[in-house]
Amino acid sequence: MKYGRLVVLLGLYGFLGLSQWAAAAPLNEPIKPLPAVANQDPARVVLGRQLFHDPRLSANGRVSCASCHRADHGGADAGVRSVGFAGQATGVNAPTVLNAALNFRQFWNGRADTLEQQVNMVIQNPVEMGSVWADVVRKVSQDESYGRAFRAAYPEGVTPNTIQNAIASYERTLLTPNSRFDRYLRGDTNAISTREKAGYLKFKQYGCIACHQGVNVGGNMFQKFGVMGDYFAARGESTEADLGRYLVTREPADEHVFKVPSLRNVALTAPYFHDGSAKTLDAAVDVMFRYQLGRVASLEDKAAIIQFLNTLTGDVGGKL
Amino acid sequence: MNLHPRLKWLPITFLALVLACILGFLYIKTRGYDSSRYYETVVLLRQLKQLDAHWELDVFRSRMGIETSYDSLVDPLVSLTQLRERLQTVVADQPANDRGPLLRMSDAYTRAVEEKTRLIEHFKSHNAVLHNSLAFLPTAADDVEKSIIRNSADGSRHPTSLEGGVNHALLNSLIYSQVPTEDQANDIQRDLADLRREAGEMPQPVRNSIDIFCAHVQTVLREQPAVNALLNGIAAVPTASRLDEFDSRLAKGQRDADSLMQTYRKDLFIFAAGLAGLLLYVGVKLIRSHAIIQRVNHELVAANETLEQRVQERTRELRETQSELVATARQAGMAEIATNVLHNVGNVLNSVNVSADLISTRLRESKVPRLADAARLITDHTHDLAQFLTQDERGKHFPGYFDKIATALSAERTALVEEIHNLTKGIDHIREIVATQQSHAGTTCLVEPVQVGDLLEDALRMNAASVARRQVAVSKDCSDVPTVLLDKHLILQILINLIANALQAMDGVVDRAHRLTLKAQARSGEEGPRLCIEVEDTGEGIASDNLPRLFTHGFTTRKSGHGFGLHSCALAARAMGGRIAAQSLGSGQGATFTLDLPLNEVPVSPGSVNHSDGAEVDTMHVPTTVAAH
Repeated sequence: MKYGRLVVLLGLYGFLGLSQWAAAAPLNEPIKPLPAVANQDPARVVLGRQLFHDPRLSANGRVSCASCHRADHGGADAGVRSVGFAGQATGVNAPTVLNAALNFRQFWNGRADTLEQQVNMVIQNPVEMGSVWADVVRKVSQDESYGRAFRAAYPEGVTPNTIQNAIASYERTLLTPNSRFDRYLRGDTNAISTREKAGYLKFKQYGCIACHQGVNVGGNMFQKFGVMGDYFAARGESTEADLGRYLVTREPADEHVFKVPSLRNVALTAPYFHDGSAKTLDAAVDVMFRYQLGRVASLEDKAAIIQFLNTLTGDVGGKL
Repeated sequence: MNLHPRLKWLPITFLALVLACILGFLYIKTRGYDSSRYYETVVLLRQLKQLDAHWELDVFRSRMGIETSYDSLVDPLVSLTQLRERLQTVVADQPANDRGPLLRMSDAYTRAVEEKTRLIEHFKSHNAVLHNSLAFLPTAADDVEKSIIRNSADGSRHPTSLEGGVNHALLNSLIYSQVPTEDQANDIQRDLADLRREAGEMPQPVRNSIDIFCAHVQTVLREQPAVNALLNGIAAVPTASRLDEFDSRLAKGQRDADSLMQTYRKDLFIFAAGLAGLLLYVGVKLIRSHAIIQRVNHELVAANETLEQRVQERTRELRETQSELVATARQAGMAEIATNVLHNVGNVLNSVNVSADLISTRLRESKVPRLADAARLITDHTHDLAQFLTQDERGKHFPGYFDKIATALSAERTALVEEIHNLTKGIDHIREIVATQQSHAGTTCLVEPVQVGDLLEDALRMNAASVARRQVAVSKDCSDVPTVLLDKHLILQILINLIANALQAMDGVVDRAHRLTLKAQARSGEEGPRLCIEVEDTGEGIASDNLPRLFTHGFTTRKSGHGFGLHSCALAARAMGGRIAAQSLGSGQGATFTLDLPLNEVPVSPGSVNHSDGAEVDTMHVPTTVAAH
């Protein structure tokens, strides 16, 4: 009898060990952990980082990429709208540069297919940097250290393409791995608390997951802002930028359609939405429930979801 | 064909070049089409098709809810773009005539992919909304029920027509989500209208929950057909067929290229067969000619051997002949030398003869018999010698007579001695000639100081008899000529010859005086100081035709001549480093022979002023005329 108990205990142990092993396997969830950074040429990355912080890219040398994609603000801007080289406000709130490489398109309306195109558009944007490529190339070429670095990294030296590629190469390294939720996804079931797990469950149950899924928790599709209600009518003061993807495709069906933003590091990147209208995560979640899900969530559920969203913050420091 | 050997190779080289060119062309043509390129493209197209199919499949998996993330609908875009770019390069690599259609096809494919991408973007948006609303509908219905119960007056749970309506709408919506029909949609719209009407009488929370329910049902009604349309649209986008078109076009190109290559291969085979035949033909020819060459070679070897024997024979014969010839030549040489010697000796013998004649004449005319007569008279008168000498008429003349005889005999003896001296000189000269010829055939020069005047005198004397016989006026001029170093006998030999010739040349001349002029003078020429001796006659002269041949061996114009004289003169002159020349204005104009010799003056030292007596030297400066007795 005593032995029989032992056998049962051993069996239980074995089962637990097995289940432990099973738990260590990656979870099959709609959200995937961040991949390792794709191999980039270190010389180009260093060059890109330098350029990213270089205000000479703007027409009057006032703003750099880093002016709006702030290191201390999750790679986004703290203001509702950013301030361009000439002091004008940009059309939309600056999205984070962190994990931007994982977005399937760039900009809120997805008008750039690649990071290089994004750089190209921002540098020439009359509000944002207002530069002409010839000037940028000239200014960069005049700097001897840039000249050397470019010649070392690119056979063709300083050109618009190489400047774009250098910055994009740098941006491709700006992933924020090791968030608690990623650790959970990789099998560390204790990486997030029970409440946070509950929050994730609610996140899925309420349907947030329908758009915020994939490796970047969003950033892989477009969605109409205001599926279940007219957000813009409620907000008022319609701007051209509110037309979203329509500005790119000119299809009526694309009016108010935006790229679904990534929710990684969302806790760091307030204010939210293309118009920066939600000052807090709480407010943003409210808007989402009302206009995207068309549902009413209990305060508890909302709080749990926000707690879950906080687990999506990864290692940011030192990269920007 | 009588072509230059190098030209003969030209057509053959040209032919070989043409054949090589054809071969190269065919080889390149059969090799030119790289089918691996085509298969790479086929692989590329397959990859594209597979990617496309997977993409489409993932769309349906997303629709079914099996795939919960849209990353799988986004990720292929990168690969698709890359593969499409590779397809563009494939098109760019195609032959020009294929490029146009292929470019159009690839553009059509690109457009299809863009269309599909666009549809999938929309699908994702609509599918997310539809999915959420459908998933939420039962919960929303529950929420309505709960709010009705919560808000009912008594708090008990009674099924109401409102609940029934909600459930009906829910059921219809779920059916609609599976089989969306227009009727069903209309039914649901009616249900929703009923619900809203009924809800108007309900408290606010219930109305709110019903509104939410209705909104989501409306969303389903809106999104379901949209999603279905998008799915149909996605399935209808002709990406696969565009790729198939591309593939078949490429395959056609490949088939064409293949069949062309087959044709070229066949051509190459035929050409190669032709070449092999040619080679065989040439080989057979070669073997045949090789056999012929072998045979000829054998014959040649045999002929060569006999030839060699014959050559050896001939060589031996030739050698014999040559030695014979050498012997003959030596004999001829000896004969020539002998002739020469005899000729010269003959010349000298003339003067010897003259001397001998003179001596014999003198001896014949000697006063010695008179002495004998006187002696006999004295012997007769030995007894009365004194009386005879004093009394007898004849005896009284005796002393004077003896005196006269003594004088005459003395003169006679002197003349004889002189003549014998000349004779001895002639004989010496002969001995000298012989000795000279014996030692190296006269090439050695025995140089000694010579007075040219003496030489001329000697030469004239040696010809003195001829001179006397022919009544020739001889003039001699040898002023200004110093004592020179010369081979006396060679010069003498030349002069005797020249003088003899001159005298003979004047034999036939009757219309003018016979004159022989000898001139010697020192001259400075280009080659240094020269001694020139001229022998001039007024004889028959030399025809200009004969002038060049004058000194050749055996040339003569006289019946009794040998043709040795002038030849030996020329040889002698050359042996002394000089030359001899003849001048004549022509037949009957006389001739001048000039002997031109290097002049080697005797260094004048105080010790040896002259070896000869001064009287003779003096006379040398006076032109003398030797006339006949």
